[in-house]
Amino acid sequence: MTETDGNSALGQGSKTLSEFESARLLAGFGIPTAKGILAQNLEEVKKAAESIGYPVVLKACSPEVSHKTESGLVAVDLRNEADLELAFQKISGSSAAKGGGFLVQEMIKGGRELVMGMIRDPQFGPCVMFGLGGIFTEILGDVTFRPAPLSEADAAEMMREIKGNKILDAVRGMPAVDADSLIQCLMAVGRIGMEREEIEAIDVNPLIIQGSKPVAVDALVILK
Amino acid sequence: MARKLDSFFEPRSVAVIGATSVRHKSGNDILLNIMANNYSGELYLVNPKGGDIMGKKVYSSIGDLPEGIDMAVIILPAKLNSQAIRECAARGINAIVLAAGGFSEVDEEGQLLQAELEKAVKETGVRVIGPNTSGMTSTPHNFTSSFFPLGWIPRGNISYIAQTGNFATHTMRYITTGENFGVARVVGIGNKVDVDESDVLEYYASDPETKAIFVYLESFKSPKRFLEIARETTRRKPIILLKGGSTDGGSHAAGAHTAALASDDRIIDGALKQAGITRIYKYSLLILAAKALSAMPLPRGNRVSFLAPSGAMLVAMTDMCQKYWNLEVPALEESSRRRLQEISPPYIRMRNPVDIWASAMVNGIEFGYREGMEAVLKDPHIDAVVPIMMITDETGVPDLQFVVDLARKYPEKPIYVTFSAEKKHMDAAKAFLEPRGVPTFPMIEEPLEVLSVLAQCRKYMDRP
Repeated sequence: MTETDGNSALGQGSKTLSEFESARLLAGFGIPTAKGILAQNLEEVKKAAESIGYPVVLKACSPEVSHKTESGLVAVDLRNEADLELAFQKISGSSAAKGGGFLVQEMIKGGRELVMGMIRDPQFGPCVMFGLGGIFTEILGDVTFRPAPLSEADAAEMMREIKGNKILDAVRGMPAVDADSLIQCLMAVGRIGMEREEIEAIDVNPLIIQGSKPVAVDALVILK
Repeated sequence: MARKLDSFFEPRSVAVIGATSVRHKSGNDILLNIMANNYSGELYLVNPKGGDIMGKKVYSSIGDLPEGIDMAVIILPAKLNSQAIRECAARGINAIVLAAGGFSEVDEEGQLLQAELEKAVKETGVRVIGPNTSGMTSTPHNFTSSFFPLGWIPRGNISYIAQTGNFATHTMRYITTGENFGVARVVGIGNKVDVDESDVLEYYASDPETKAIFVYLESFKSPKRFLEIARETTRRKPIILLKGGSTDGGSHAAGAHTAALASDDRIIDGALKQAGITRIYKYSLLILAAKALSAMPLPRGNRVSFLAPSGAMLVAMTDMCQKYWNLEVPALEESSRRRLQEISPPYIRMRNPVDIWASAMVNGIEFGYREGMEAVLKDPHIDAVVPIMMITDETGVPDLQFVVDLARKYPEKPIYVTFSAEKKHMDAAKAFLEPRGVPTFPMIEEPLEVLSVLAQCRKYMDRP
């Protein structure tokens, strides 16, 4: 992921940013994101995978497509070029792909998925959310909010506050989550809310814990 | 900044617009309240009929009032209020309480009247509490604008902000007749055309008379300012808040998980935590926690010891402490435990919580509770002590002075007394203990629930 400012990519008339643009925005605020390269055709896709290193994830990349997994526009854990080519044929052949190119992404592995996000509340302004990620976000709704900007203490409290907070400890052979890195991520989401008026909402889901470090794997940025 | 509300809380002179000699009307009850509280400033009465009320001259119009009156309470029909504001402003009155209802809380016509009020406030620059409020009480200044029959309101160190008329009316009537604690300031903010919850909070934050702030709110008029003031204040004074009702949801951007999960309640919860405001969900805690804080210091932590005359009470309360109240019932120092064992027959294994009944039966109620309480009050692992006192004619009615003495001997540790058995002895104990600075609670859960709230306040106060 290049560390350029997300400004130039922002907007362009669409109501959401593409995943690639979203990730670039987050990275610009210091949030670790999965390495990703945008590609337009199979050749570029192969080259990108080569440069990132297998295994990779391949996704259709378009601002209009937000539920990619459900639409069959995501293929994960592609271990070699043959896997990649097969996935490319499937995704590029799908009617749901709308011609925004393809995102080749580093395959982030970790047993723990968290969620973080931002919304604008009519009373309290930008608010940061943190909680259990992946499918548990919808199933358990184990999340907590704080108005931005967040202090370090606010972020640390949010981490303790969710019911499933043990997920952040050393569990089942996995190391404890690096609290400082997670605190920095939450504070950064708050800063985006404070500094980027044009952004209405952010979902980072999942935020995968790779080893002990959080990495934003899928991000959705909604514009006003 | 905060001192801008001085004229409300420390008025040297007050005009009552709409004063009347007709009994049981608001314009008369307010006069009785003002007199019952020994207001010592100048009082001016206005009624178009003129004459005199209770021997006091009545001015027939606001225009006839002298210059330099600090504050006016306007008790007139809704449609006359904005004109009255302008007339008061013309006489140099800068602080006004509007009692009348019939504004935006009722119908469209009321909304129009309220818009007129807002215009009058803006154009004249006066400060207004209300409309639709019983107004405010300030005991250090012996003043209340309440038009609900209250009688004398005892002075204390608790202040209330309420988005409801009932705190300055019937809830206050309960406190003054059913409890033994007093208040410093009470404001019913009503429809908030001008003065809102943040203005009052700011005043209380720097008010030396206010030791703790209790809030009932249904909506925030200036949420960010309120939180900003609270965030700083809660490091010095507890703020305990009950949020009533919920505002319209669904105003967040659709399509994001975050938005779908962003209920008002979750966001308010996060906002209050960030500001160090202790959120409560029970109306009665607005009174019970106030009573506890009036008499006793904020506990230093959440470690409680309680003494009960029943195994079931020990077990059930311990369960509740852990499950609902975030209170610890820690093990005692060995020396404390040994002392407890000394005062008890050997067949009871003494520890925390304390099974005090055998000791009280063998050695007398007073001895058992006194020695038992002292043992745990001395213990460095204990922040607060709750004796559940069982008193009946047959088992003995102790002289409760020992509880008062223990409270004085260990002033840094709250003692909250609760009861079992005979109601008449509970009432007598309350009447004896509370005026002497020891709060009592009729139901055994109540003191622990209050401790839970206050331990949270302490946690916020000690934030890094």
